[in-house]
Amino acid sequence: MLWYKSWLDTRWRFLIGLGLLMIVACGTLFDYVATRQLMPLAGSINATGEIGRRIKEAIELEREYRGFVWLQWFRQNLSQMGTLFAVLLGSGGLLSRASGGGALYMLSLPASRNRLAGVRAATGLAEFLVLVVVPSLLLPLLSPAIGQRYSIVDALVHSGCLFVAGAAFFSLAFLLSTVFGDPWRPLLLACFVALALAASEATIQGFSRFGIFHVMSGEVYFRNGQLPWLGLLATTAVSAALLYGATRNLARQDF
Amino acid sequence: MSDPFVIETADLRKSYGGVEALRGLTVRVPAGSIYGFLGKHGAGKTTMIKILLGMARPTSGRALVFGLPAETEQQSVEIRRRTGFVSEDKDLDDSMTVEEIIRFTRGFYPSWRVDLEQQYLRTFELPLDRKVRKLSRGTRTKLALLLALSRAARLLILDEPTSGLDPAVTEEVLQSLVAHVAREEMTVFFSSHHIAEVDQVADHVAIIDRGRAVIAGGLDDLREGYRRIQLVFDGAAPDVSFRAPGVARVRCEGRVMTVVSSDGAERILEEARALGPRSVDVFPVTLKEIFLETVSSED
Repeated sequence: MLWYKSWLDTRWRFLIGLGLLMIVACGTLFDYVATRQLMPLAGSINATGEIGRRIKEAIELEREYRGFVWLQWFRQNLSQMGTLFAVLLGSGGLLSRASGGGALYMLSLPASRNRLAGVRAATGLAEFLVLVVVPSLLLPLLSPAIGQRYSIVDALVHSGCLFVAGAAFFSLAFLLSTVFGDPWRPLLLACFVALALAASEATIQGFSRFGIFHVMSGEVYFRNGQLPWLGLLATTAVSAALLYGATRNLARQDF
Repeated sequence: MSDPFVIETADLRKSYGGVEALRGLTVRVPAGSIYGFLGKHGAGKTTMIKILLGMARPTSGRALVFGLPAETEQQSVEIRRRTGFVSEDKDLDDSMTVEEIIRFTRGFYPSWRVDLEQQYLRTFELPLDRKVRKLSRGTRTKLALLLALSRAARLLILDEPTSGLDPAVTEEVLQSLVAHVAREEMTVFFSSHHIAEVDQVADHVAIIDRGRAVIAGGLDDLREGYRRIQLVFDGAAPDVSFRAPGVARVRCEGRVMTVVSSDGAERILEEARALGPRSVDVFPVTLKEIFLETVSSED
């Protein structure tokens, strides 16, 4: 029954996220047709500096359908929106409900706090997994509609990387929700951390190779065909530590 | 019920920051009793209940429910499995409908009594398809009571069960409670600051003040033991202190001296007559008077 309750608590965040990401995934797909038509004009772009380098890199990547999908979907749209929905799904929970009612009722049931937190975390992570995998699977499914092919293995590997690394943001929001009673501070703080990390990866030279968004996008797999094992293990360890911290924090609290 | 006491606390203390909510609370709740836990707002009643249910941890002291330590997580789960609880705010999941929250709660209790569920659904006329957040305070209380009673609990803990209810609903809730306890073998522990309510349904009572139990025992024993002795003198009442045990309070106003005794009146009467009063009268004491005398004497 706790699974049902967790589902009731998070279903709208999940369903809205799923619907939105599926629409964006379809949009990305059909955007390729327009991008390909504009590609002959790309040679006339004459930007210099870091921005110019990035534009040229994007143009080179988008010459191939695989590169276009990775850049537009996995590195940009899904990484950004996936992070946002990971934070949204991680926010809330037992302590947050204390301000809106229901916490004492849940705590009066014969279920340990670890179980309450565990079920809530597992439900959220399962929803996050569906959020990143299902829209990504639309790409191999719908690509033939625009005369292209996209590997289902690539879709699964990239969305898998995004799930594992993105779970750290879910876990951060989950931990913060056991610290703050309102739903807003965990959300805003976790988003701020994500933005700070993204900005650091974009501006500090050499840092992006070790950054979490680098792992989320599966860039190593895209370029070399290898999984970013070290990054995946590191982010898994961070997520586990954050979730453990959340359960410990919940266990010691008075309600 | 094998344990003589369903709830036992000994020197229970709880501090929130620098504020002491409980200051050495010792209470024993006999199995099968309806135990009223009486105290003013902020006396520590809710804190005590939260400790019993594992929602708060004691700073020191001991709290046992069914002989199990309440501060241990696993034992606390077992305590909650055998206990029905209604919180002061009738805290329920607002996002569910009445039907959903009944189904949800039923899933946690293998011994859930469907017959009682159906009976209280009819008695309380609960609207199954309505969201909990849209229920009135009275209907919400009835739903909370249904959820607590239908789980076939051996112990029912109610925190200010009639708080915020109009007199008609209060009466309906109390009558349902008494009728339920008369049918089922269970112990009821309920906190209240309404003396009349405790007087109406409880057979045992503890009066708590500033985190300590100032009186605890059977209600009939308390009524039997407490006496108000009124002495009228020809002149001003003398300022004396009694040696006899059980003097709860002595008050002098002009020619009248009032002595409240907690342990019978005989020995105090002997001392009082020696003072040479013009008249001596002994009156029984109501629970309200006992409450006011004991709680106010602490101020």
